[in-house]
Amino acid sequence: MVDFFIGLFLASLITALFTTRLYRLLMWYSFNSFTLGVLALLIGMKLQDNAMLITGIATILIKAVGIPYFLKSFSQKFHFVRQITPEIKVQYAIMLIPAILVFTFYLAEPITNMIANNSNYVAISISSLFLSLLLMMEHKNVAPKIIGFLSMENSLFLLGITATDGMPMLVELGIFFDLLMAIIVINLLFHREEMKNA
Amino acid sequence: MLELLFLPALIIFGLSFIKSRKTHKPLAFISFFILIPTAELLRLPKPFHLLGDYLVVDDLNAYVLFVSSIVGIGVALALMTLDKHVEVSKNAYRRFYRFFAIFWVGLIFSILSNHMGIYWIGLELATLSTVYMIKTNHSNAAHKEAWNYMIVGAIAISLILFGIILIYASAKPILGEDAMNFNLLLAHAKEIKSPFLFEIGFAVVSVGMFVKMGFFPMNLWLANIERASFYPVAALFSGILESAVIIGFFRFSKIAMEVNYDHLFTFVFIYTVLTIFIVSFLIFRTKDFMRLFSLSGVEHMALIALFWVSGGTFAALLHFGAHAFLKPALFLSTGVLESNGKYRIAGALRGYKGKKGTLFWFLVSLFLLAVISLPPSPMFFSEIYGFGAMINVAKHGYHLLAMMAAILILLILLSIIFYKFIEVYQSMKYEGEVHSKKVYASELFSLVIFAFALIALIMPPVMNYLKGIL
Repeated sequence: MVDFFIGLFLASLITALFTTRLYRLLMWYSFNSFTLGVLALLIGMKLQDNAMLITGIATILIKAVGIPYFLKSFSQKFHFVRQITPEIKVQYAIMLIPAILVFTFYLAEPITNMIANNSNYVAISISSLFLSLLLMMEHKNVAPKIIGFLSMENSLFLLGITATDGMPMLVELGIFFDLLMAIIVINLLFHREEMKNA
Repeated sequence: MLELLFLPALIIFGLSFIKSRKTHKPLAFISFFILIPTAELLRLPKPFHLLGDYLVVDDLNAYVLFVSSIVGIGVALALMTLDKHVEVSKNAYRRFYRFFAIFWVGLIFSILSNHMGIYWIGLELATLSTVYMIKTNHSNAAHKEAWNYMIVGAIAISLILFGIILIYASAKPILGEDAMNFNLLLAHAKEIKSPFLFEIGFAVVSVGMFVKMGFFPMNLWLANIERASFYPVAALFSGILESAVIIGFFRFSKIAMEVNYDHLFTFVFIYTVLTIFIVSFLIFRTKDFMRLFSLSGVEHMALIALFWVSGGTFAALLHFGAHAFLKPALFLSTGVLESNGKYRIAGALRGYKGKKGTLFWFLVSLFLLAVISLPPSPMFFSEIYGFGAMINVAKHGYHLLAMMAAILILLILLSIIFYKFIEVYQSMKYEGEVHSKKVYASELFSLVIFAFALIALIMPPVMNYLKGIL
């Protein structure tokens, strides 16, 4: 079951890389976060780790529901460009993405050898990190760059739950708090009201 | 004690919601209250557990916090007259204070944390709050740079988190959840079963921190941001945010020294020398104050990191203190210098009349000459001690000649920077036309505080305190 959701996590991120519409990208980010939340719940149940169960639920509520909702409302409020064509052409992306995956598995081999549990998941989370960076790089618009940053955070969360069997609860909650702060700052960055007042 | 530390920031945060211009004055004076708990922390026996094992005060972070508090006070004083030099809306001004308070809270957590996770959370909070402070300037350049900072800063901070996860994974088998604890990690560093994993984690953390400090290859991003934003933001960056980043580097590198010193030294040595090499030529080509001081800040941070890994703890901390006072002082001066002639270096120091004006140009001259390590600047002493530490490291190996050659190259690079600063100073003082210019009392007061703080750094009791930090 965990393998299935890890696969979905990676697949949703790859699909997001090819998406040309903003709302669809938000939907893929939401799905990506949902699979992450479910993964945290599954691994948490397996390890009988209550802290991970709580962070799993928080991930679903905040990242899969809350953040996409806020970003969608920002896009309506500030009239974002909804056609977001990636700068990297599809035919090149098709070659680049598997290359990143293979490269990451090769690169992460020494690390995965040292991690007792879920070693393949660690390689997947590192490759997700690179794919998220690619998502940030391949778009000129700000909104997909934000999604890339949030996906990067998802990849790090996945690395946290797979490589270390969960980070301390305090750290996880702190990261959620910082994410919410990031959303507030993003909102203010889009705000042009003061520009008119100045 | 913890409440006292956060109280000034919380009061500033609360007062920033009041829609009156009269609140600026009390806000600046409230910032002075931070000196009470920070001075008390310097005095208390160490280690002092402020919040269990999460926030622990030792000699190192008590010093960094005290230095940062003085910078915070200086910036708060200079903020009083921000609207006299630049165009800023009422809302943006109040929000600036609000985010300044959040920034302060994040940094207190970061500096005092004995926990990798809390350190990261504090740093992220401070990073996010600076994004809005950059945007307070309503120019298109500032808007673009705020986004730039948001994205590059987020990548840098994500790299730090990535590294922390790897370090945590390497130490969790022996320490469990306590593997996040800096002191415990340091005590058990030699027992880590996967040193390779730790070293990868450390390298990733360091690269994240180096990006945040503008090291190679990201030398210009910070300079561009500081150029585009209002001058207090640049002062906060160089005087406080970089302090929080470098204290993290100190903590992580101390553990890395125990794991494999040779790897750590080689990695940091190559990275910092490369950074100084590039930055010195960038400084040589610079044509405005902000970029000049910003790039000089990158050079200083690289030297601090190099001295620290060479075992020159005292040199690194002295250099750090001098940098933390000099750079904000220069950035705040830039706000005054530029408000009467944008980007014009020639004659920038001319035309300041009366007692206030004379004191202003005298202090700016003092800071400019101190930043290029002219004796008796603290930077002169720190560089002497730092290069001495580098030679001591080489003595224990077989690379003495190589190290001396590296020091020679560094000195040549530093002399390029020296030449540029002298050229700029001469142009500011002896070239250009004379126009009547004004400096406000609060700005002058903040510069006087920085000048006294610099003098205090070379006083024997302070030097002895710094020598006692291991």
